[in-house]
Amino acid sequence: MLAQQLINGVLLGASYALFALGFTLMFGVLRVINLTYGFYFSAGAFAALFLTRDAGLGIWAALPLAAVTAGLIAVALDWLLLAPLRRKRAPELASLMVTLGGVLALYSAATAILGPDIRRLPPGLVDGTVFELAGLRVATPQLFILVASFVLVGALVWLLNFTRLGLAIRAMAENPDAAGLMGIDTGRTAALVSFVAGCLAGAGGVLIGLNFNAIHPYMGESMMLRGFVVVIVGGLGDIRGALIAGLALGVVEVLTAGYVDSGLKEAVAFAILVAVLWTRPSGLFGRPALRRA
Amino acid sequence: MPEWLDDFLWTYQNLVHALGINGLLALSMYVVLAVGQLSLGQAAFMGLGAYSSVLLTLKLDLPFLAVLPLSCVAPVLFALAIGVPTLRLSGVYLAIATIGLGEVLRAVYLNVDWLGGALGLSGIPGRAESWMIFGLLGVAILALWAVGRSAIGRAMAAIREDETAAQVMGINLARYRLGALLASAVLAGLAGALGAHSSSFIGPNEYGFEPAVTILSFALLGGIGTPLGPVVGAWILTLLPEVLRGFSDLRLVFNGVIIVLAVLFLPEGLLALRMRRHAA
Amino acid sequence: MMRRCFVVLAAALTFGAGPALAEDTVPVGAIEILSGPSAAYGIAIRAGLELALDEVNVHGVLGGRKIALTIEDSAGLKDQAINAARKLIGRDKVIAIIGPTLSNEMFAVGPVTNERRIPTVGTSTTAVGVTAIGPFIFRTSLPEADVIPVTLKKAMSRGVKTIALVYANDDVFSKSGFDVMKAAAEKAGLNIVAIESFGSKDTDFSAQLTKIKALKPDAVGISALVEPTSGVLLQARQLGFGSETLFIGGNGANSPKLGEIAGAAADGLIVGSPWFIGKPDPANQQFVADFRKKYSKDPDQFAAQAFDALRIVAAAINRAGAADPVKLREALTQTTFSGVTGPFAFTAGRDPASAAGVVVLVMQGGKFGIAP
Repeated sequence: MLAQQLINGVLLGASYALFALGFTLMFGVLRVINLTYGFYFSAGAFAALFLTRDAGLGIWAALPLAAVTAGLIAVALDWLLLAPLRRKRAPELASLMVTLGGVLALYSAATAILGPDIRRLPPGLVDGTVFELAGLRVATPQLFILVASFVLVGALVWLLNFTRLGLAIRAMAENPDAAGLMGIDTGRTAALVSFVAGCLAGAGGVLIGLNFNAIHPYMGESMMLRGFVVVIVGGLGDIRGALIAGLALGVVEVLTAGYVDSGLKEAVAFAILVAVLWTRPSGLFGRPALRRA
Repeated sequence: MPEWLDDFLWTYQNLVHALGINGLLALSMYVVLAVGQLSLGQAAFMGLGAYSSVLLTLKLDLPFLAVLPLSCVAPVLFALAIGVPTLRLSGVYLAIATIGLGEVLRAVYLNVDWLGGALGLSGIPGRAESWMIFGLLGVAILALWAVGRSAIGRAMAAIREDETAAQVMGINLARYRLGALLASAVLAGLAGALGAHSSSFIGPNEYGFEPAVTILSFALLGGIGTPLGPVVGAWILTLLPEVLRGFSDLRLVFNGVIIVLAVLFLPEGLLALRMRRHAA
Repeated sequence: MMRRCFVVLAAALTFGAGPALAEDTVPVGAIEILSGPSAAYGIAIRAGLELALDEVNVHGVLGGRKIALTIEDSAGLKDQAINAARKLIGRDKVIAIIGPTLSNEMFAVGPVTNERRIPTVGTSTTAVGVTAIGPFIFRTSLPEADVIPVTLKKAMSRGVKTIALVYANDDVFSKSGFDVMKAAAEKAGLNIVAIESFGSKDTDFSAQLTKIKALKPDAVGISALVEPTSGVLLQARQLGFGSETLFIGGNGANSPKLGEIAGAAADGLIVGSPWFIGKPDPANQQFVADFRKKYSKDPDQFAAQAFDALRIVAAAINRAGAADPVKLREALTQTTFSGVTGPFAFTAGRDPASAAGVVVLVMQGGKFGIAP
């Protein structure tokens, strides 16, 4: 049973990591708690729903399109809500507040337009085969999530460390004013960061919606609190940290539910968050990678 | 009293109570913001005040005027316990730490049987009167206004503007921050007790992440130039959903849009947050 | 600026309540969740109420007076539900309130309406203790305590001896349903091998299910809303639960959404229900046809219960002989009604009197049918 529980934990953790990747990037570079992040997650899942159910696309065509849609929504929201505040150099509290109002309006508008019902992606979209080896079981959509989180972490690390855009992003994370003086177009970089984060959230929404087979406007909201835990424990803006922290959180939650008491699983997650903040506020893995020169 | 006036007051009694209680909550956020801290623990303090006061009323049947001051005890103890390690943090880190603590408390309410679990505690007598709520709100506003104009208030402003400079000038940062957190716990605890005793039912989900953010938005919308700002912010955001009743399914959309527009377009007056720019 | 804001707000509060009701209508209110995350329930109920209103107002009540139904949104929040109740009573002068949607909203609203002696009829509040709030609080929804024993009896007739229970521990509906399920299982002499909980917004149940699977119970009872219930079933199949384990749903599982979300994973689940879309009696078939015509979708039990509730209230207004809340309360206690959920009357405790209408349904191929 322990082996199956560990697998359960890793698979759950992969979905946390997948959700948190874009969040930590956005948080690390733009330095705001962007509460609209959860909405990109829902938007990606809905885009995939329309593309597969109404436009008849396959999942591999729909996934990137849905991710890009979520990315574009993220850029538009950043431009509407946050860019004016960045220009005015408003305090970070104002940014928190504006995204709070924004996300309230977005979720309610989505509910009013699309209806509050739970939808599912068309059946047979992915092969639901369960792999079984020595009594241990993993389903195909779960494997997608696991593979996707590793692949996306790899892609992000490559983007940040080996491209000019990555250099600009890291410079901006370090110090936006200095980056501006060095000739980096910070407005454009912020938009790009939003786009990448939105794409990641959208892809996460599709894959997680596929696995749990329930798509509804508020689906991103319930992931947000776990997102905070992963982002802080992994270190603000630390991509690899988010992956490790996500996986670790999944395993700890599953072991708590499996061997201690299922009612305590959330409490343990948040107790870890508080403990990490008290002892190592910059995350378990030291300085955020984005801020390293 | 003419019948229509009686009816009118009865109709809006809960709303009127909510105005006062949310005003107290906004002030509890204000005192923390006033020393440059961003905490989201106010809902947790409020929950502790609410649960402890309800237990005192239901199990011990104490009179409400004794329950009210006692309802501050649990939040204050909690603030002391978390204050020392937490106040070293600043900006978003502190905000997230306090969200975490709020969620841990929620899990406690859910899992401890004599706190009612998800069913919460019901059958609470409606003992909170308007005069108590608005009396306390008035006292709190006056007290905070007086403090703001004293030497303490100037020290608080100095901390808010520039922590390092304030320390160099000999201001004991930790003491002011802990003091603000304790005052915040007292105000939120009172609000929790008053809220619980004007709505007959409390449950664990009323004191989680979302209410914490709502309380923050009270203070931010009103601005923290004076103690009146947060109270005005709380009143606007409390009245908004009622005013928008006619819009039915769309009213939360309008509510959100109004918050966005207020932050983006209202002149500095309503959002005079002279906080340090890089608090993280 | 600030002062102008207040003038506008005050004006809106005073005059924004809509046009004054004409003298010859009978004002009735409803409080349902029409916005926010739980809006699905309130919107289904509103559909049922409005369909019933069309029917009632063809002839009217009290000799031709129409019922003016005002439906207020609570957004699922306690404070807004109380505000809505006070507005309906104080300004709209309603003589009865239908709703609110959730049991915990009723725990907040009930004391207010009861104090003002306004009959309040819950159509979806199944928790223990709802009608104990006071003599003006009624409900037409069968409490779980009446439904679950019927379901368990059916399970035991299939040879179930051991059961594991899982439930969402953070909402009133699920927790209350679990308490009932546990008590009923103990009373029926079932051996409870495990009790596990989760959060109603959780999407992962693998740890709890893996633990339960190792204990090999004959049945698994689930008390949760439809979304987590579907999640539990989907994940149970992934983890290798087969048809040897009987899944038993609480009231939350009794929704066509279950088949839509969980698909084949829900096959074989049994659930007790006060209503069933395929019930062959003409009244029910007429209701289903009318509902489909008006909304182009299938009704669920929430719509069906709401449809009956408004007609029960309308019939009671006629018997009361006047638009008077206290007389209406008396008339409601005398209800004998035959609706789409079957024959209906209230107990002395203002709960539904008979669980005879309960049918045990089984999920097969994404649709509910009567369990053999």
